[in-house]
This record gives sequence, structure tokens and C-alpha cells, in this order.
Amino acid sequence: MQNARDTFYVTLRDRLAAVNPARTMVLRGVTRPGVLVEENELASAAQPANVFCLHWTGLSVNAQGALPLVAMSCEIQYATDGDAGNGGMDRGRLLSAMDAELVAAVSAAPQNTVKMNYVASAGGSGLAPVAMATNVFWGDVVFGAAVVNAERLERVATVEVFCYQEAGEL
Amino acid sequence: MSTTTTAVGVVGAVAPVTRRVRAYFAPVDRVAGVPTVFDAAQMGTFALSAPPAPWVDLGWCSGFVRKSATKVVTLTTGAPAVVQSQVRTEVEATVQFEFESWGKLQLALAAGSQQMNLLQTAVNAAANGSGGVAGAAVPLVAGSTATSLNVGAAAARFQVGELVAVDEDYVAQVGFVGSGVSAAYVSSPASVANDINYVRRVSLNVGRVVAIAGGVLQLGGALLAGAPPSGMQVSPLVGFVDREGGGFFQEWSGLFVMDGEQGDRVLYYYPRLQAMQGSAEMVKALAGPLEQVALAGAFRALPVKDANDGETVLCFRSYLPGAMRAV
Repeated sequence: MQNARDTFYVTLRDRLAAVNPARTMVLRGVTRPGVLVEENELASAAQPANVFCLHWTGLSVNAQGALPLVAMSCEIQYATDGDAGNGGMDRGRLLSAMDAELVAAVSAAPQNTVKMNYVASAGGSGLAPVAMATNVFWGDVVFGAAVVNAERLERVATVEVFCYQEAGEL
Repeated sequence: MSTTTTAVGVVGAVAPVTRRVRAYFAPVDRVAGVPTVFDAAQMGTFALSAPPAPWVDLGWCSGFVRKSATKVVTLTTGAPAVVQSQVRTEVEATVQFEFESWGKLQLALAAGSQQMNLLQTAVNAAANGSGGVAGAAVPLVAGSTATSLNVGAAAARFQVGELVAVDEDYVAQVGFVGSGVSAAYVSSPASVANDINYVRRVSLNVGRVVAIAGGVLQLGGALLAGAPPSGMQVSPLVGFVDREGGGFFQEWSGLFVMDGEQGDRVLYYYPRLQAMQGSAEMVKALAGPLEQVALAGAFRALPVKDANDGETVLCFRSYLPGAMRAV
């Protein structure tokens, strides 16, 4: 399951970066695309603005087939205060831009990709990730209502992500 | 010198997971009664956006349901009767779905009968349900292609954005008419009032003008019948019309493709399909008073003989497994 989560994150990150290369963030001193997986970072209650934050929530497994079919819910939280230079009066437009970027990244064909194992390539080992035998695939993005939190506009979108648990995979 | 092949494991075969069905059209030669053949062994892996010629993309469809109405009955003997064998007493198959887009081709296929073009009418033409008498058509001159119509100085009569039908004049032909696709059957010149524009009225060879330059009308897409020869004429039109009733059955070769999420593919090939209902729509509520109207089609499959064994069949289902899947 972790391989599928990592694969979906990397795919979404690369697609979002292609849609809007200017959406970047600085995390632990490194400039990177403006998307992160919350559980892979230092625990923090703060929601960074203008960044997509992935949270893995729901999980179910159907073990009746030849391979167990895993369904995972990925909640994508994002928020914006608007541009300070505009007094925040463009926060609706900026949230709308993030909505559009997410649609473009999630709904672009194909909505599947080969599952990759990134374990060996983590930590700057220089090793390439290993392609696995099945695909990760996902549905369309479902948007929650925009929420006003003081001067900030927030939204949570959800994508259902599916994969098959391969033999010997943990 | 021997060759060593590394053994690799296979992955368990799982049920295909698909999200949408893509539909494709190809013409049936109505005069010869010959459908377009789709060979999944040779063409099955084509990119969905680039079907092999002469197949034409109809776009996504929803509500795809195919049914077998084939009847299998038992042969029994003895008292009490004991089943000894089975026989097929009837072979029948239908398929129904909704087109996600409204285009000339989709409208024509879903219509139960002829699907007409609303040709721009002549001045003071009498009103008629399927369009009044059409104005004079514009002849093509040499040099037209499937996407550009050379009409010379007459280009001034057209405007960017206009719809046009391109086909030959009706000059007392009897039988199937229409370039590229048989669009109607004419039983006698009198039945179509000897209308010189009748073929263009029913033709599926239509396009939209997206640019005009140097006497050439540039079309937004290729004409179904390919490059039109000199002698064909161009009629501007405002839209399309079909009717409940009529004596003609459209017939087409249909291909439906479901791409699986694991790299597998299911293809349904119907060599001969005819509409089995009149024009119909499927309404999908959006919000408030808004509704999305999809074109509903229901089709009955007609038979062909499989060259491999001479069996009479109605449709072919092909499955192309994903890479390294158990079979």
C-alpha cells in the first residue's frame, strides 16, 4: 500500500509541477513543487498556504480476487490568503486556480500509472525506483465546499486511489 | 550458441476495471452488403485517439449495455424426459448506450431512419418539416481535399462558422445514395421530387468552415468521404433533422473499447448494426431546472460469417490481457 501511496504522490507532484511550475515551496531549506504528504513531514498543526497537502485517510481491502484490491482515500487540503499586494482580495481567484490545477493533474489521461517501489531510492541513494507489476489507478477529484477561516479560504478535495496488493508486497 | 531467456513471474489475472467506453464507427457497403472488418489480432492495440482507418471516433459513450437474446433450448427424450443435448433456436444480440456528444454522425446513427441536413432554403421556399427547397449549391473546382473545399470566387457566399454538406447532385439515381456512407435509399426519382439537392440533404459528408482564404473553405475536420472530386457541390446548412418514421435503416460497423486500468483492453466489434428504435434522448438532471440531454441509441446486430470457420455470428468480444498477467 505504501508503494501505491508513494507512486500516486510522485505522479501528482510531477503533474502539478508541469501544470504550474511557479507553484513551489521551501521545505527544510529546499525549494520544491508545492505539494507534500503531511504524514511524511514533521508534525505540524499549521496549514501552509498555496500548497497542496495530501492526507491518506480511508482504507479498504477486497481480498476476494486473485489479487487483493486496495482502495485508499487521499484528502488534498489547500488554502490561500490571497496576494498581500492585492490586500487578499484575489483569494477567490487563487483558490480557483488551485482547483483548476488539481483537476488538470488528477483528470489528465491516463488516470493510472505503474506502481513504483521507492524504498531503495530514498535518502539520496542514487538508486532508481523499481517498477512493479501492477498499476495504481484513481478516480476523479471530488471537491468539498470552500471554507472561510478568517482571511483564509480553504478547501478539501478527495481522490479515491486504487491498487492491487502484489504477492510479497507489504 | 544458445539463447538464454530470463524467467519472470506472472501476476494474477484480475477482473478488468474500466471507467468509460469509447465508440467508433465504420461504414457498411450497403450495395455489396459488406461491413468494415476489424481484426483485433492486427489492430487491437490502437491508441484510442487514433483509430485505424476507416474507423471514425464517435467519442465516449455512457450506459453501455449489450444483451444476448440468443435462445438455447433442450432436447429431451424418454419418460420421464431427460435432457440429452442443447440447441440454439435463435441467435440475436442488441446493444444500447448514450452518446456523450451530439454530432452529425452520432445523430444519424441514433436516428431510426434517414437523418437529414437542414439545407439553407431558397428565397420564398415553402415551409417544410425537414426543410424547404434548398438554395442553389456551389460547385467545387479542382484542388479540394478532405479538409479544404476549393470553390473559387463563390467563397464570398460563405462565412466562417458555417456548416456545409458536400456531395454529388441527385440525377435520378435509384438505390443507396450518399458519399462515404449510404445515407438513404431512393426508390424512384419521383419519391424525392427529383430534387437536385437530395443527396446533400441526407449526406453524412458534412463539415464546418473554420477559415476562408483564396477561394478555399477550410474545414474544422476531415470529410467522411475524403477528398471530394470535382463535380460535387457544396450546400450551406443550418443544422440537422430526423423524424419518427421513414423507411430507411442506417447500418454501420460498430467498435466499442474499454481500456482496463491494468493495461488490459476489452473490444466489442459489431460488424453490422441497425437502429432498433426511433430517435430518443436520455435526460440527466444537473441542478435546478438544468438537464443534460444525451443521445440514446439502441441497435440490433445483424449477422456475418466468420472466415475462420464459416459460423454465422453477430458480434465479437476480444480481450487483450495486460502485460505479464496470468491467463
